[in-house]
Amino acid sequence: MITQLRPMPPSLEMRAPQTAPLLEVDRLKAYYKTQLFGVDREVRAVDDINLKVNRNEIYGLAGESSSGKSSLIKTVAGAIRPPLRVVEGSVRFNFKDGERDIYKLSPQELSAIRWSHLSYIMQGSMSVLNPVRRIKHAFVDFALPHVNAKGADFTNLVERHLKRVHLDPAVLQAYPHELSGGMRQRVTIALATVCGPEFIIADEPTTALDVIVQKGVLLMLREIQQELKSSVLFVTHDMAVHANLTDRLGIMYAGRLVEEGRTRDLFKRPLHPYTAHLISSLPRIGDEAPKKGLEGSPPSLANPPPGCRFHPRCPLAVDICRREAPPMMEILPGHRAACHVAQADPTRVETVG
Amino acid sequence: MSALKIFRDLFSHNGEFAIGLVLLLVVLAVAACSFFSPYPPMDVYVVPPDVPPSWEHPLGTTSRGQDVFWQLTFAIRNTLLFGIVVAILSRIISLFIGLISGYKGGWIDRVLMSINDTFVVIPLFPILVLFYFIMRDQMSWALLAVITALLGWAYDARLIRSIAMSLRTREFTRQAVFSGMSTGKIVLQEHLPFVLPIVFSTTMNNINWSIGIEVTLSVLGFTDINTPTIGGMIYWANQHAALVSGIWWWVTFPVVLVIMLFIGLFLLAISMNEYIDPRSRLSRLGGQA
Repeated sequence: MITQLRPMPPSLEMRAPQTAPLLEVDRLKAYYKTQLFGVDREVRAVDDINLKVNRNEIYGLAGESSSGKSSLIKTVAGAIRPPLRVVEGSVRFNFKDGERDIYKLSPQELSAIRWSHLSYIMQGSMSVLNPVRRIKHAFVDFALPHVNAKGADFTNLVERHLKRVHLDPAVLQAYPHELSGGMRQRVTIALATVCGPEFIIADEPTTALDVIVQKGVLLMLREIQQELKSSVLFVTHDMAVHANLTDRLGIMYAGRLVEEGRTRDLFKRPLHPYTAHLISSLPRIGDEAPKKGLEGSPPSLANPPPGCRFHPRCPLAVDICRREAPPMMEILPGHRAACHVAQADPTRVETVG
Repeated sequence: MSALKIFRDLFSHNGEFAIGLVLLLVVLAVAACSFFSPYPPMDVYVVPPDVPPSWEHPLGTTSRGQDVFWQLTFAIRNTLLFGIVVAILSRIISLFIGLISGYKGGWIDRVLMSINDTFVVIPLFPILVLFYFIMRDQMSWALLAVITALLGWAYDARLIRSIAMSLRTREFTRQAVFSGMSTGKIVLQEHLPFVLPIVFSTTMNNINWSIGIEVTLSVLGFTDINTPTIGGMIYWANQHAALVSGIWWWVTFPVVLVIMLFIGLFLLAISMNEYIDPRSRLSRLGGQA
């Protein structure tokens, strides 16, 4: 469904943001650690990730299944439970009323920033609503404790917000099964944005929808984001959605961030062979050449290959890739990649795909 | 759909529900008559003894000089009340244990479920008899209700736990946890509505079960025999060898009434089940679930 790249907002055009980034993830490592029958297992789902998300920006996160996308955003949201544990690194938010390190907060403080500063649109959000309770109860249960409004004020606030996302306030009286998939999705997004959060995490919110409804929901999400001037961390494996929605894009492979840059730059000129393959796999109008798949499958995160984790599947792999993990380096302005080959000669990657 | 409309539809389309409801209403009507009884329930020799059913005494009189009908109204009221009290108490326990155990998991689940399994396997009847021999004269109606409730929650707690375990993994629970709802709130507001229909259905079976326990114990005289109950009436009839001396009405009418109550509650429970679980509705129509 890819049609064209979204024009870049002028504010993002080739200049560094003046304010500090809203989210800073620093050398974050989060592993699933289990100990069963005396056997220790460690799955490195999030391995040494650095990323920054600026204010008023939609940051996309792409990667295939089991590349650690969901683990990363759960860790960023502070919504992890054992066996997933943070091993190293930090997640810091610079909210308007102060900086916060998610993993240094008490449970009460963490609960206080949720919904009002940081909200989360869950994966499979079709089932986020409790099927035996009316929609209004979902708002009361999840959002009411986080806003300074009660009773009629709260109802007004919710109704005004629902109108903003083009929903009839009458849905408050409905049960989830009485709504269509698209409406339910709007309700979940409304639920996540009703408190005007500064940072919204969206985990594949449109995966279960068809493209027409998907487009409507994505447009609405962008509208809301621009109105609230909040940042969104948007996760999906659907590159077409990224091309249409996100300002900057990070590509994950096997628990690591392999490339990051403005979405437009990334699509125009990928610097990592994996990204190049991802993009060349997208259908293009007028292109009738058959698509080649990438050989092999992503490595097990319990036992990743040494060096660059992509090297067993990489057509450009050289000797150093098998020995040393490439660091994430800025190769072009605002465009980072973790690839030995691209760091030596950025033009080599263009031959891929 | 309002509750009243559901009731009306069930009544006109579901034969089991209709029969069950009528039987239960008859029993309730008899129990309600106790408030208009001309004789105090504990008094004996207020009417001529051993009179067969007649216009004056529709269900006859007992060898102790009590009117069987008016005695029965008190007996069924107490028995029914006993069943309801036991059902409510044991429902509270099983909901609490089941929901917490299923939601929390881990060592809490293991501890609660090992207690639960203990209660499932211990033989109930000898324990109740044992209690009677220990308590003797202090064995009141209320105490028996509490003891029965404490012994009767285990099966349902397991059922509720299994539902709670599946609810725990659903998205809305994760959302609730993320938004900072406490365990108590999640369990009460998000999970309780899911299990209530099932609890409603098992409640009726539990009433039946506890009435069965009570009748059995009091027929054998292992309860407070002075409170008029269905079992108590049969106990006194046996004491006076009613069947041998041909006073059949003293035994027959209590037995018939309690059977009506059993069947009524059972039919209501299965028709409720059908209403709650659409799959059993489908299989009734001959479809495959």
